[in-house]
Amino acid sequence: MPAKRIIACLDIRDGRIVKGRQFAGLRDAGDPVERALRYRDDGIDEIVVLDVSATLESRLANVRTIEAIAAALDVPLTVGGGVRGLDDVARLLDAGADKVAINSAALERPELLSDAAARFGAQCVVISVDAYRNGSGYAVASHSASRPQPRNADAWAREAQDLGAGEVLLTSIDRDGGREGFDLDLIRQVRSAVSVPVVASGGASTPESFAQALLAGADAALGASIFHNGEASAGDVKDACRAGGVVVRP
Amino acid sequence: MSITVGIVTLGAANRRSIEAALVRAGATTRFIDEPFAVGTCDALVLPGVANFGYVAQELDRTGMRSALIEAITFGVPLLGICVGFQLLFERSDEAPSARGLGIFAGSVRRLHTPCVPHMGWNRVDPQSDAIAQGWAYFANAYAPDAGVRDAIATTHDGDDTFACAAARGNVLGVQFHPERSSAYGAQLLTAFVRSAEVAYAR
Repeated sequence: MPAKRIIACLDIRDGRIVKGRQFAGLRDAGDPVERALRYRDDGIDEIVVLDVSATLESRLANVRTIEAIAAALDVPLTVGGGVRGLDDVARLLDAGADKVAINSAALERPELLSDAAARFGAQCVVISVDAYRNGSGYAVASHSASRPQPRNADAWAREAQDLGAGEVLLTSIDRDGGREGFDLDLIRQVRSAVSVPVVASGGASTPESFAQALLAGADAALGASIFHNGEASAGDVKDACRAGGVVVRP
Repeated sequence: MSITVGIVTLGAANRRSIEAALVRAGATTRFIDEPFAVGTCDALVLPGVANFGYVAQELDRTGMRSALIEAITFGVPLLGICVGFQLLFERSDEAPSARGLGIFAGSVRRLHTPCVPHMGWNRVDPQSDAIAQGWAYFANAYAPDAGVRDAIATTHDGDDTFACAAARGNVLGVQFHPERSSAYGAQLLTAFVRSAEVAYAR
């Protein structure tokens, strides 16, 4: 069975890493290439780069940044943020992304997922689901968590999978940047709805919190600030996972 | 002088990460998508982030199919990666009417691993000394059976065991992504480049 993955997320704008909380209040957290390689050396299994910028100039800067990260890195790279259509998917794959995460555009035009899977293969199409607690379930929001959508997270993840998404990047909006641990109930609900890998995101707090998310059924768990602030390394996280009985890559 | 590795780029492919990894392994690289360019390369890499049927169709449309088979017959070392590995077999369930290159006997079928696609780092278990044991990065929904004629390593997940590497003569194929498999992948690519240097020197 594949090892459970520990992933570091770099939110980039204008070629720099930024980090906020609940998708707001972004601040500078360093050079992405340097960070990606340091995390690789620490044993990270994958890097996710999310483009959180809005302007055209930022976008071009960010494609160049992705090219630089992709060329330097020798672990998998997933890229998301602002993907509107097949051309964007093609451009990011050509820049060196191994997988492309699609969020808002898929909610508006779900057929983008099937088109992308038919053209590039399901293994490089990631549905990015930003979810928040809504009663006993979870609802989905788009546009960097600013627009609530009339869909449940588990049903949308299932629909996206059936259309062709090969992985679910599942972010808890409630926990994003809050360092309170992953939303284990959200992980369980979506895990039971899909058969493709689920990457848990939002709330990473301690090395043990990653083990909890993976034991709750996530195939991979993603952190940002915990790594950027130097509070724990991928090695520390993997030690905690092994101690909790989770199989990770040596 | 370093050898020139031609990276076959037919439509969708993660060519940049493969290019960078081959340069790290000591090669000079060239992207090729036309038959005449095949002969200018000392070794070839057939990558793949794409659909089997799409690439098979592109092989025919561009005339690359016969150019690649000619180069392989001539003894040029070739490495197939992911869908590029699958294309070395005769056919695939992903596109039943499409033809592979047929270098390796057998066909490629859908996985029945617990999670499809089979995504992440998994163990490469060698069946011969042609490949090392280690952890490699996979992202695949299809693979050949473990028992295919040319298999040199297998991987398993749940109750599915499949061939993750095969070799025949000057042709090597791997289901995983060496360019994204950190030190293990770098070792494999360096060995491939070295074998091409040896072949070139002869």
